[in-house]
Amino acid sequence: MLNYDYIKPESIKDVFSLLKEYGAEATLIAGGTDVMVNIRNRKLSPGVLISLRGLMDLQYINKNKGYHIGGMTTHRMLEQSELVKNELSALHDGASRVGSVQIRNVATIGGNICNAAPSADTAGPLLVLDAVVVLEGPEGKRKIPVAEFFTGPSTTVRREDEVLVEFDIPEDNSRYGSAYWKHSRRKAMDLPILGVAVALNLAEDRTIVDARIGLSVVAPTPIRALRAEEYLKGKSFREDVLLEAGRIASSEASPRDSIRGKAWYRGDMIKVFVPRMAKLAAERRGVI
Amino acid sequence: MSDHLYVGKSIPRTIEIDKVTGRAVYIDDFKRPGMLYGKILYSDYAHARIKSINIAKAEKLPGVRAVLTGRDVPDVRVGFLKDQSVLKKDVVRQFRDEVAAVAAISPDIAREAIDLIEVEYEELPAVFDPVEAMKEGAPLVHETDARGKPLRTNILPLPWRFQAGDIEQGRRESAFTVIDHVSTTWVNQCCMGPSGCIAEFDMNSNLTLYNQTNVIFGDKGRISEYFSQIGLKGKKIRIINPIVGGSFGTKLDTDIYEFICIQLALKTRRPVKILFDREEEFRALPPRQPARFTVEQGCDREGRLTFRKIEAILDNGAYTSWGATTPSVMMMPVSSLYRVPNIYYQATCVYTNNIYCQAMRGYGNPQASFAVETSMDTLAEKAGIDPAEFRMINRNQSGDLTPMRLKITSCGLEECITSVKEKIGWNDKKGKRNGRGVGIASLIHVAGGARVTLSDGHGIMVKVDEDGFVDVLESGTDQGQGSPTVISQIVAESLGVRPEDVSVIFGDTALCLWDAGTHASRHTFMAGNAAIMACEKAKKQILEMAAEYMPRMIKSDFKKMMKKDPEFVEPELDYSLISDPANLDIRDRKIFLKSDPSHPHFNMDINKVLRRGLHVGTGESRVIAAEAFYDPPTETLDRELKGNLSMTYAFGTTGVEVEVDRDTGEVKILQLVAAHDVGKAMNPTLLLGQVYGAVYTGVGYGLTEEMKLEKGKVMNPNFLDYKLLTAMDVIPIKPVIVEPGDEAGPYGAKGVGEPGLVPTAPAIANAIYDAIGVRIKDLPITPEKVLEAIKNSK
Repeated sequence: MLNYDYIKPESIKDVFSLLKEYGAEATLIAGGTDVMVNIRNRKLSPGVLISLRGLMDLQYINKNKGYHIGGMTTHRMLEQSELVKNELSALHDGASRVGSVQIRNVATIGGNICNAAPSADTAGPLLVLDAVVVLEGPEGKRKIPVAEFFTGPSTTVRREDEVLVEFDIPEDNSRYGSAYWKHSRRKAMDLPILGVAVALNLAEDRTIVDARIGLSVVAPTPIRALRAEEYLKGKSFREDVLLEAGRIASSEASPRDSIRGKAWYRGDMIKVFVPRMAKLAAERRGVI
Repeated sequence: MSDHLYVGKSIPRTIEIDKVTGRAVYIDDFKRPGMLYGKILYSDYAHARIKSINIAKAEKLPGVRAVLTGRDVPDVRVGFLKDQSVLKKDVVRQFRDEVAAVAAISPDIAREAIDLIEVEYEELPAVFDPVEAMKEGAPLVHETDARGKPLRTNILPLPWRFQAGDIEQGRRESAFTVIDHVSTTWVNQCCMGPSGCIAEFDMNSNLTLYNQTNVIFGDKGRISEYFSQIGLKGKKIRIINPIVGGSFGTKLDTDIYEFICIQLALKTRRPVKILFDREEEFRALPPRQPARFTVEQGCDREGRLTFRKIEAILDNGAYTSWGATTPSVMMMPVSSLYRVPNIYYQATCVYTNNIYCQAMRGYGNPQASFAVETSMDTLAEKAGIDPAEFRMINRNQSGDLTPMRLKITSCGLEECITSVKEKIGWNDKKGKRNGRGVGIASLIHVAGGARVTLSDGHGIMVKVDEDGFVDVLESGTDQGQGSPTVISQIVAESLGVRPEDVSVIFGDTALCLWDAGTHASRHTFMAGNAAIMACEKAKKQILEMAAEYMPRMIKSDFKKMMKKDPEFVEPELDYSLISDPANLDIRDRKIFLKSDPSHPHFNMDINKVLRRGLHVGTGESRVIAAEAFYDPPTETLDRELKGNLSMTYAFGTTGVEVEVDRDTGEVKILQLVAAHDVGKAMNPTLLLGQVYGAVYTGVGYGLTEEMKLEKGKVMNPNFLDYKLLTAMDVIPIKPVIVEPGDEAGPYGAKGVGEPGLVPTAPAIANAIYDAIGVRIKDLPITPEKVLEAIKNSK
């Protein structure tokens, strides 16, 4: 059952031809922190692992008419990037809280998103940063907003012959402050009980120009709390407004009871952390 | 100040360099030539009848050497109450029931073969709640007892009932009384090194078992009993410890996988290794048992305790291991933590279809202390007395004879309470109810052996070679606690050599004398005392040799000097002084004259004397070797469950300051002070390691750790969902070492392996109450429970 081949192609073209050759037998592997666990737990039994680790040109973080992050970029690179920390803070929060340093050294952001766990720590941040996923297949590239990328737990719109090569994050995020809260029992090696990401564009007079709220683990996929966002737009940045936004966001979620947390608790924590993250985002924006 | 050279010094651990560099051979690394790998198939149901087992496909898999089911091995009952068999043939009573086993040439093939075994079950009604299980008409977990006699109840035939004084009298004398219901759940020992063993028979059917047990002679005894029932009576058994990666209670009983491994080795005539993976550690090892307590206490107007009544219900699970005897240890805090004249205690162990339970660090004491210390706080509040002061009023003191007849020879509890109050800033911080709070709890535990079997002894052998190196054959188990270093220090101190001269061999029934096991915080105390006794004997032999040879050697040295230097004048010396061994002693590798330690001529390197005196020709040669067996004058519990189990008792107090987030229910520990009466610290660094580790485990017990069982099945058998705290979750711990010294201990030492865990959880619970006025009486104290309690209190 642990008998699989491992191939590490050096170019994306070779990846496509190998995927074609092996078809359903093949599983793509990047950092391997999800794939290897799934193989051990017998959720996956690939005939061949096609590694993306030969595609080192997909490891980058840059700003050039928007922000561009390569699909093979590790969480540790995001954690150590001043650009991400200062201008895409929610993503920095999310990437820095994944697993442990050892895991962050190998785990990639592309893998985190393609694995499509409802608990993915970079998903909420990418949602509120309005990120766009760039998929590349034999026929070329296509772009899909992160909000439309997930179709359910562990499922996405990515076709089996496609590789996630990049995240494009709009330039206007430089006008937003953002923050992500991973609510978990431990400070390391843990999954979130829920995740709350908030990005805010605040005017100098503390009017909320725009707000984006991302929630994870409270629905089959990470979601945007659109009604809460709509409520906030044009309002003044005040405690009662934020609390109401938290209540609306909580009503947009559909959390379930699991061994990791009770539904009522998850719902309550949305009410607590939407305001807290909004405040942190505003602080980082420098308005309050 | 003592003039000890090595005892009491923080000498670095010696053998751990092998562990941290990956060279130490744990059971995982251990291989024997031709070895096979065993794997166990567990039940798919909590309670079911086995209708059929089909092993045909598994047997045909290439590389498989044996497939065993309950039909292939003798139907022999094992376990503490002989209530289970090695492989279950007819009925499974819990998810961890062992149904079949295979041996194959690789672990992967063994695992594949397990998947090919087809078992057909007929599900039976099951019961998962001990209170439900006690009710009439509840499904019976066992239809008969070990002898085949029909059973009518799930209640175990182990009535733990203890009485001292008169509860009603106590009630009458009470100005205040409280009653509380508290409960604790399953937690796993979480050893870093998973369980496993290698069984190997020679052609005469004698067994060598490389095993991680920390009770090598107990294990040997149980296997010997098993042998006599499976036709191997008279065959020899040798148990050898590999490097053991922690035990924390798991290695106290002989586990079922050990018997299965033996059966696979017997069947294949090849060495067989069984090694658990982490999921098996959670699903197929017996954890700490859950307990529910009803605790009632009273005190008079001055705050003196008048009575304590505790009734406990323990979820035993489907079978009985040593876990069912934890009520005997619970009795210690119940009867003897603080001075209480009137005690009533009853514990009922109940069969359920949950996984069965065993020992874990503290052995029932953490559960019972959570009950007692919760009640101490509620009673203090009712009486209007500061919780710390309330404990001070009722503290144990040296010279006490407790209602259980424990003789308190030395007791540092007063100093523990005082220093915790001072270090945590008790008086400034308590009673604020502002989201921050402080809490306190104490403990009593055996610290000088624990006589649960007829012999509570420890044997040790010491031999010294011509270079002055010392080999110690030690019957304990080094499970990571640092004993090789501590025993080296004690041997070096008492023999007069240096710790680096001493090698300690652990855990081999063929080489070592009898020992009751490395458990119950007993090892330093027992092995230390035995080592001192053995070293005194060995020292006597060396000094006799010295008295015989030193005068001659000194004289001959003078002659040599005179030859070299004709001017040299031989000093006039009274050689009779060093011709009597009673006048000599050894310290730091030197043999010297007691009455004049700095005598210019009457001192000599120990190895010089040994080289001269050991190998000297026919009839004169000798060895330096000594053995000692220390069995302390303690008592087993009598019919009233009273008796002085241990030579001495450990005391300690933990103080915690917490901050509670009222919106999320999260508890943050701002500081924790752990004061422990340790008698005398043999090696302060290692001792603190024990305290930190135990406290940290106690924090997990209090706040995060719980095995989640749904209808008998462990739902979180991994470290992702079992919230063992990580290195990133460390909290600031301030240890306080109280050293009153104990007359019975080696150089005054008491045991300290378990105590740090015991008062941690109740101290946290008490601090949470102080912070927000909400009391959680059910462990662990999760944010959900805290938040729910806050909502309910509004």
